[in-house]
Amino acid sequence: MTLPDQSALSRRDYIRALVAVGGASALSACLDAVGSDDGPDVPSGTDNPASLPDRQHAWNDALARDDDGNVQLPDHHVLVALSLETEVDDEARETTEQALRTLERAYEWGHEGLVFTIGYTPAYFDRFEASPAEVDLPEPEPLADDETPEYDEFDALLHLASDHPSVVLEAEAGLFGERDRVNGLEVETDLTGVFDRLDDRRRTGFIGEGLPAEHTDVSGVPDAVPEDAPFFMGFRAGFTDSQATEDRVTIEDGPFAGGTTQHISSMAINLTQWFDQENHYQRVSKLFSPEHADEELTGSVGEALGASSGLTTDRIEATEVDAREGGVVGHAQKAARAREDGQPLLLRRDFNTVDGDQPGLHFLALQRGIDHFVRVREAMNGDDLDVATANNGILHYLFVDRRGNYLIPPRPLRALPSADPTS
Amino acid sequence: MQETNAINRRTFVSYTAATAGVLALAGCADTDGTDTDDTDTDDTAEDDLETMPEFLEVEDPPDAVYVPTHREAMRMLEPVEAGDMMVAPMLSYPHPFWIVAGTGADSLERTDPEDDRGVHMMFTVWDRETGVVLPVDDGAQIQVERDGESVGSPVSPWTMISQEMGFHFGDNVSLPEDGTYTVEVTLPPLSTRTTGDLEGRLEESATATFEFTYDDEFRHEVVGGVEYFDEDIWGERGALEPMDHGEHGHGDDGHDHGDHDDHGDHEEGHNHDHEDHDDHADHDGHDDEHDHDDGHDHGDHDEHDHHAVPYSALPEIDAYPGTILVDPEEGDVPDVTEDLPESGDARFLATVLESDHRLAEAEAYLLVSPRTPYNRVPLADMSMTATVERDGEVLEESALEQTIDGTYDLHYGASVPELEAGDTVTIETETPPQVARHQGYETAFLEMPLLELQVPEQ
Ligand code: HEM
Ligand SMILES: [Cu+2]
Repeated sequence: MTLPDQSALSRRDYIRALVAVGGASALSACLDAVGSDDGPDVPSGTDNPASLPDRQHAWNDALARDDDGNVQLPDHHVLVALSLETEVDDEARETTEQALRTLERAYEWGHEGLVFTIGYTPAYFDRFEASPAEVDLPEPEPLADDETPEYDEFDALLHLASDHPSVVLEAEAGLFGERDRVNGLEVETDLTGVFDRLDDRRRTGFIGEGLPAEHTDVSGVPDAVPEDAPFFMGFRAGFTDSQATEDRVTIEDGPFAGGTTQHISSMAINLTQWFDQENHYQRVSKLFSPEHADEELTGSVGEALGASSGLTTDRIEATEVDAREGGVVGHAQKAARAREDGQPLLLRRDFNTVDGDQPGLHFLALQRGIDHFVRVREAMNGDDLDVATANNGILHYLFVDRRGNYLIPPRPLRALPSADPTS
Repeated sequence: MQETNAINRRTFVSYTAATAGVLALAGCADTDGTDTDDTDTDDTAEDDLETMPEFLEVEDPPDAVYVPTHREAMRMLEPVEAGDMMVAPMLSYPHPFWIVAGTGADSLERTDPEDDRGVHMMFTVWDRETGVVLPVDDGAQIQVERDGESVGSPVSPWTMISQEMGFHFGDNVSLPEDGTYTVEVTLPPLSTRTTGDLEGRLEESATATFEFTYDDEFRHEVVGGVEYFDEDIWGERGALEPMDHGEHGHGDDGHDHGDHDDHGDHEEGHNHDHEDHDDHADHDGHDDEHDHDDGHDHGDHDEHDHHAVPYSALPEIDAYPGTILVDPEEGDVPDVTEDLPESGDARFLATVLESDHRLAEAEAYLLVSPRTPYNRVPLADMSMTATVERDGEVLEESALEQTIDGTYDLHYGASVPELEAGDTVTIETETPPQVARHQGYETAFLEMPLLELQVPEQ
């Protein structure tokens, strides 16, 4: 695989590009770039992986919060697509489990180390001729009139996240036999022989203040992306009161209790129109709500909102009237119509990407069942709203090209679960 | 794909054309029929081809449709099929336009091209069966490609209105290099309510692909083809005549603009490019027949001209059945759109169709068709409420629903009780047309006060 040209890129962009390329040579280039052979000082993990929470998706306690108490995701993300190479049997399960435990021993569970999940697609469960018991996990399908996405039809997906680009690269390399040691720990078991990596389905990304603005050399990323914006579209997201809790997205009953479902949609974003053609008022109206814009609630990148997206019941209920009488509705306002008992249904862990040398988003959401995601996406589509498509939140700027559904089993069942592990 | 119909092929009349503009406004005289190439201009331009001509602005334009500073030149490409629809691409140079998002003061934003190299890419979409131009946005998308690689991000083009092109989809697209580009257009299923011959149709998404070459020749033709008008007429109330959309080279020459003068619904500077316009002879006459697919539909050209592109003009008043509502002060139904009741300089054709009309159900149907005053371009994505009153008492208040009809094209409709002479219908525009505008339309159709209409005495 060809490595990016270091001389043509800023240091951070070069490192980001290395994460996108992946593999052992990208890793060593990355370690060079960060300035030491051993890489950054990364805290090691636990001697007792069984002490980690049963929920694979229990990241929040291990993650940092911003000054307002909003959970911050790690900066660097890799989604590794996996194709099963072997029969599902106890040996393959054991190999998978041991390989994943190696990562847990090697890296502290958190920003400085690593957090990760492994999830399985409906296609994986096809071999059992059954869907996972008591889990809503349909095949992915188009969720809007104007999209014709491709689907994640491989078997499984690893989501690796860390503040250190070298950690996500090293963890991946260690899992696939390209690295003997991970954070100094010898890799005794890796995933080779069980899973094959699908390189062309590998996805990467980043999130965090200032990271999007560093990518203005990518075509389609205008200079106008604000310096301190964590997301390409120029605002903070993931305010505490707009996120589901981990409890809220956890499967409660059946053999997979303690697990969750994951939907990942990958999309291109047209930032040129968003930043170069529209004004801040229009952006705030379309992203949050017209009232957020009128009352100047967000500040330049959402910093004025603190821990709350400012989506009061009134603002959520105003969606229809804002459409009809104001001609614009906000994305967040509209999506919040799908809340249940006032609680958001999705725990969003989405991140920016320049995969394919275009700005985009890997929208990763956790929810108790995929039906919850579908319900939220319908609310976001707003087909019921009397509003011009271009003013219907941010739909005009998003181009979904891929969707995938996953079961993220609870940690004890994460290694090649059958469709009904209790039977 | 073959490129056809270079509008303003004989370019570089620009500066001399200023005079022609004045003459044209004065009465559609068949000016500059000689079209003597201003070869000097031509040559100088050739040496240093501009990518984007100067965008002259009008100081203090009226809050109404006005004559812009120039006539935009463009290249029309051959229309391509997209399922049951046709897509007619048109390319101009990148230029400013205005986006509308909402109702307040900050809802209008002027957009300048990010890059002077590129095109203002536009296309018109119509239903092949009825010829009806589809003037709403249900989520069209384009992706520009070169040698199989994407150029820039995908784009949802804006819906736009322009005096020359009428309703179209478009955006400025940067093109870093000269070369041949492929554009893939995706049209989603039509989700706007449809009636008449369009009912139950256009429910599938469709795609179309076209190609074009961006090079010196393009810039010579299109950038060089801009015509600046005499400053005296800038900002006058009026509009440019729709450009001719057909392919020509036949058709009787000249002297055909007479019709226009007769019904005087344009007081604008149409004219240059006479040869192109010559074809208007045919259409002008049948403008008066007002079939939905007219405007500049090319009637008799259609058989031998596959490049004819309908202009999005709505039918004239007399094409609408039912009882046309009038300005209570006037009392009479006018002959032409320009004289219809107005709000925000939009003209409102409103008619009540009795319960026996196909559009009416149990009650009567109120059809409201707001349009631009001179070119009858439909105004899409508005929201309006109609209040019907008799003797000061409210009989009904209805939200009007945006609808595309196979005959009357875009309108807003609602069921209303059977009305009597003297009843009033007040139209409240909650949201003005949420469509982007080219110069000359950006100050109109924004503030749209209540409009009171009345059922006339028979
Ligand atoms: C580039 C794409 C997107 C951007 C920039 C974006 C941005 C935002 C922002 C700024 C908010 C409000 C603040 C907050 O997150 O706390 C929000 C809320 C939300 N968004 Fe998105 N979003 C995007 C895509 C999506 C997609 C694809 C979905 C899928 C359905 C989605 C679902 C939601 C939901 C459910 C909420 C919270 C609503 C609530 O408070 O109940 N977003 N988004
Ligand atoms: Cu345009």
